[in-house]
Amino acid sequence: MTESPATKPADGDVCQRVKNGLNLEKNGVLKSLHRCHEQQPKHHCQPEEEEVHAASHHDSQYNRPFLESFEETPMLVAVLTYMGYGILTIFGYLRDFLRHWKIERCHIAREKEEQRDFVPLYQDFENFYTRNLYMRIRDNWNRPICSVPGAKVDLMERTSRDYNWTFEYTGRVVLDVINLGSYNYLGFAENTGPCADSAAEITMKYGVGVASTRQEIGNLDRHEELEKLVAKFLGVESAMVFGMGFATNSMNIPALTGKGCLILSDELNHASLVLGARLSGSTIRVFKHNNMQSLEKLLRDAIVHGQPRTHRPWKKILIVVEGIYSMEGSIVRLPEVIDLKKRYRAYLYLDEAHSIGALGSRGRGVVDYFGLDPCDVDVLMGTFTKSFGAAGGYIAGKWELIEYLRSHSHSAVYATSMSPPVVEQIITSMKCIMGEDGTTIGCDRVRKLAENTVYFRRRLREMGFIIYGNEDSPVVPMMLYMPAKIGAFGREMLKRNIGVVVVGFPATPIIESRARFCISAAHTKEMLDRALSVISEVGDLLQLKYSRRRIQPSLSLPCDDIVFEDIDD
Amino acid sequence: MNVGTAHSEVNPNTRVMNSRGMWLSYILGIGLLHVILLSIPFASVPVVWTLTNLIHNLCMYLLLHTVKGTPFETPDQGKARLLTHWEQMDYGVQFTASRKFLTITPIVLVHICSAITRPVLVFEEESSPKRSSRGIRDIWGGTRTRRNVAKERQDGCVCFGFAGSSMSFMTAALPGTAAR
Repeated sequence: MTESPATKPADGDVCQRVKNGLNLEKNGVLKSLHRCHEQQPKHHCQPEEEEVHAASHHDSQYNRPFLESFEETPMLVAVLTYMGYGILTIFGYLRDFLRHWKIERCHIAREKEEQRDFVPLYQDFENFYTRNLYMRIRDNWNRPICSVPGAKVDLMERTSRDYNWTFEYTGRVVLDVINLGSYNYLGFAENTGPCADSAAEITMKYGVGVASTRQEIGNLDRHEELEKLVAKFLGVESAMVFGMGFATNSMNIPALTGKGCLILSDELNHASLVLGARLSGSTIRVFKHNNMQSLEKLLRDAIVHGQPRTHRPWKKILIVVEGIYSMEGSIVRLPEVIDLKKRYRAYLYLDEAHSIGALGSRGRGVVDYFGLDPCDVDVLMGTFTKSFGAAGGYIAGKWELIEYLRSHSHSAVYATSMSPPVVEQIITSMKCIMGEDGTTIGCDRVRKLAENTVYFRRRLREMGFIIYGNEDSPVVPMMLYMPAKIGAFGREMLKRNIGVVVVGFPATPIIESRARFCISAAHTKEMLDRALSVISEVGDLLQLKYSRRRIQPSLSLPCDDIVFEDIDD
Repeated sequence: MNVGTAHSEVNPNTRVMNSRGMWLSYILGIGLLHVILLSIPFASVPVVWTLTNLIHNLCMYLLLHTVKGTPFETPDQGKARLLTHWEQMDYGVQFTASRKFLTITPIVLVHICSAITRPVLVFEEESSPKRSSRGIRDIWGGTRTRRNVAKERQDGCVCFGFAGSSMSFMTAALPGTAAR
């Protein structure tokens, strides 16, 4: 499946050799790495593209090539996209005019006639987008499913007679839709198997819910076992689990920082991190997405100038980044961030919501992916929703930190603790990934996910689509750009029995609407091939193959091969 | 699409004018408007340019300086509801590239408009007896005899449109008043 030559050893070994090679002769091998990174783009890249890869003096920190690309929007496509939004806006105003003069029936919520003189309850203009754009293509979201959302899912068929304002169910079920939308990275979203059995057993023993907080009578022995297991999984001293992933971020960042502290957060951080940062009352400064120069500049300014008016030194500087950014598919430059953190004595909060279980040779997340020491990251946070088929989040780190959070975190004091079947699901799936249940299922799944990701991304690139993000990230955003294509893509894929997630403005920048595929270890090669052929067919139909650069299949090899040759010299 | 997605960009409207291809689309939009107006059979070129100028200024005034708020819900608890698009741009930072571009375009447009329709400005001396019989040069290089003057005054009134110039000055001057 991967295009590795027969002589190439497994991933781990190559990385080791590369690392040793770098230690032996820094300048020579660095130059060749640098050269190899530059040679590859020159062969098949257009100048206006933004190919971002590990260059300059930071090469030594990466034990494998860091290939991310965010190809620029073609100008014609951008102009046509604006034209599309312009036409939609004009028609939106026209329809609003017709609705106002009662020529057309109005479906949206309106105030009662008697309350006309009151302060308005609904702001008409704020609903403009929802009424006139979202409603037209609303059938692409919130589709009801009636089976477990694994690699394949069953959907309830629905139709609408009034252009998506109301839906009716025909009663038929669309069976076996290939599911490219669920965050099911390791395929644990299943209702049979050891995880489901043990969860069912525990429900019989402990009940469905705990109905209390951790600090009162909601602390079960299963919670303690789970926390020990999570700490062992991540390679840190101690961990704490919470019932809700969003709440883990928003309730714990206020416990860690407060007034007089500085939070440096990435541009594209999730809303839970932003909410947590705002609730804490610290000063927030935003650095450009994954841009280490921007982060360093902010750090230096913060340390040199101190707090805004008093110029006192900051009590704490906390850098908040995510492992994988799900909208862009990019991976954080962790070695460089840790280097900066150590140099400027800041703290690091790493949110591994999408990367835990999905990256790394052993599935231990982005820290494992880069081969770094988990003790370098001060606060490791993650969720169990994506790779473990459960719900909830964890925070892991030093023993003192976690003990502090046990008494000071809002979640620990006021929120209900995780319910027992969910705890059991996580324990079983985590043991499976670690290999402690005696089988190699976990290991196989981690490897399968990596292979599926590389294969899928390579094939999509070869077909000519614009794909964002890192080569190793299982989140694959494919650009659609125009608003009409968002709806068309979702519907055409469903007609051909493939379920995808499409996202548009305002969740993404105005011209960058995309379809986001999430690769799973549960996808077999046949499923991926079928999905790819369908995507290619729909791509030809809708003219989605915007990419200006064409990759020859032979040149799509990762850099490892070229580096291998240099070391042999 | 906004529901359930998580973003740290509070108001996406602030970034719209900076996105790729927006300026080009704006210029092309003006061009399209001009071409559509040119197809009106009884309008002469100067009149069409005037109309382009006026309609462009009117549309920009309505879109940028009249309509308040955002067409979607934002997580900033309504701070943007009282702001026009011009005020929302770049979160209120003045003199960014987009603001300068949008200030300069109506001024350039009105100058082009004036150039096409031969304005009444002259730089030459009128009192010299030698010149007065032959006609007066205006800054655009043509000569103005008594015959042309009457015709130009007609066109000039329409074009050098008090309305047109005042619109452009209004849109250009508003940044100062709208600073927050």
